[in-house]
Amino acid sequence: MATPTGAEGGTTPPGGADSADTDAGTFYECNICLDTARDPVVSMCGHLFCWPCLHQWLETRPQKQMCPVCKAGIGKDKVIPVYGRGSNNQQDPREKLPPRPAGQRSEPENQGGGFPGFGFGDGGFHMSFGIGAFPFGIFASTFNFNDGRPGPAPPGSPQNREEQFLSKVFLWVAILFIFYLLIA
Amino acid sequence: MASMEKRLQKELLALTKDPPAGVKVDSQRICTNLSEWTVDLEGAPESIYEGEKFQLMFKFGSRYPFESPQVMFIGEHIPVHPHVYSNGHICLSILTYDWSPALSAQSVCLSVVSMLSSCKEKKRPPDNAFYVKTCSKNPKKTRWWYHVLLNKVERNSVNMYEEERPCDMK
Repeated sequence: MATPTGAEGGTTPPGGADSADTDAGTFYECNICLDTARDPVVSMCGHLFCWPCLHQWLETRPQKQMCPVCKAGIGKDKVIPVYGRGSNNQQDPREKLPPRPAGQRSEPENQGGGFPGFGFGDGGFHMSFGIGAFPFGIFASTFNFNDGRPGPAPPGSPQNREEQFLSKVFLWVAILFIFYLLIA
Repeated sequence: MASMEKRLQKELLALTKDPPAGVKVDSQRICTNLSEWTVDLEGAPESIYEGEKFQLMFKFGSRYPFESPQVMFIGEHIPVHPHVYSNGHICLSILTYDWSPALSAQSVCLSVVSMLSSCKEKKRPPDNAFYVKTCSKNPKKTRWWYHVLLNKVERNSVNMYEEERPCDMK
């Protein structure tokens, strides 16, 4: 059961090379508004659009920048403005509609304010060896091991076995250390 | 919205003047409300829908042509087709995901006609009963799944409403 895809069903250019269409004006119609292209731009694939129309389409689907007619790649810097003779306005149509300013993304605020050196927060041990205000900042950021730490490896994987081995080794080192402290 | 009206008028003229085979538009009836069209379809000769008559409804929203029109079968006679639900909703990628403003009512009609003509077996989609009970009135609110088969030429479809679930249809 072949359902017509968009590519098949949609490549009929409106007012294209129709034999009945002797009106030369239709060749210069925008493929989106079907009217004579105003502030015309042409894509690399040769399709004509009004810049306002194409701009609106590119804004509608920012993640899918495709030529509406042939689905070739398209973008602001991949279209050419068309200037006919007699038009006294030689301004690039692409400059007329400035792209919207990009959204600004600020970093999330630092978690756990207050003293940056010693924090026995959830699951993390921070240590800092500095004197004065300046080194604290450096060490605090150097010894913050708990931020963005990946989760435990899935059980059974080689990484998991390795981790278990390491944790046993450290446990023994700790026990030996305590033992040494008790003796000394 | 003057440009949208102009475009719809041009499309209506083109569809009346040069309709795809089996498509008929009553432009007199549409003139009163340009944003809602009813188009008559007839099953193509030598297809399994030969001689059957259907009605297709187009609703053009205010963002047309940047957004696809709402297209569904209406009336008593809904074609029995693996991509057409018994409430008239059509699973066709150009009606949602693959829509492009260079498409038109004419090309949508052509796609629907060819979708019907290429069908070999009359049957409803496998999830028809469930979909019809749970879907929204507007087919564009459905999250359609387009299955890409055989290097993107053939498409099979599964509809999902509200939540994504792999369906039993393969």
